[in-house]
Amino acid sequence: MNGRKTFGGGRGGGRAGQNQQGKNGQQRRPMFRRRKVCKFCTDKIDDINYKDTRLLMSFVPERAKILPRRISGTCAMHQRKLRTSIMRARQLALIPFTSE
Amino acid sequence: MNRKYELVYIVSPDATEDQVSDLHTQVDGIVQRLGGQIEKTDNWGRRRLAYEIGRHKEGTYVLEVINGSGDLMKEIDRRLKLFDLVIRHLVVRVDEDQEVIERARTKRGQVSSRRRIARGLPSERQPGEGQRGDSDDDRDDRFDMTEDRR
Repeated sequence: MNGRKTFGGGRGGGRAGQNQQGKNGQQRRPMFRRRKVCKFCTDKIDDINYKDTRLLMSFVPERAKILPRRISGTCAMHQRKLRTSIMRARQLALIPFTSE
Repeated sequence: MNRKYELVYIVSPDATEDQVSDLHTQVDGIVQRLGGQIEKTDNWGRRRLAYEIGRHKEGTYVLEVINGSGDLMKEIDRRLKLFDLVIRHLVVRVDEDQEVIERARTKRGQVSSRRRIARGLPSERQPGEGQRGDSDDDRDDRFDMTEDRR
């Protein structure tokens, strides 16, 4: 829909193997996952704004649900701000509530 | 008590340019009358809505940044509900958030300059000096949809 970018190649994609041997060559532990970090902390984005659809859309996958912290790695404070921003943007029809 | 608010309203796509600007003058009138002022007006133009509102698929978005009291915004909120041309609107108070952002920014600036001085570097970051490259593959796997199993 309206050309928005989704990421990750779907749920559970890349679960088998290829993910663990990323660029760091981490193969020692069988289920090693790279530690996820908060995008807003690393990129130093202070202002999470409901008008910034591009940014918010990267946290809203195909079904238009808000991407959980467990997956995105966002820290608690920023996830909270992100949530309010997404909900405001939804009220203004900038972001869908749901999409088929 | 002066506070800063942001008002966004979506005007029906059937409305003409004149009607949109007329709406703006009406909002301006209410703001003037109740002792506030409009700091900024921004017309985003016609955009596609993410979902249908009523039977509309498009709308003209207008953003107004208003300095004023809570009563003023209450009145604007009430009035906008009555206009048929306005299909959706949102009022958000922004002064507190902006203060928090400002504080976070200055604090980070201070911390980083202190650290840089401690390392014997000039307090400001020099152009062309990078600690980590903004490589694209860094972004790629930030949101892989695998779950944390521990």
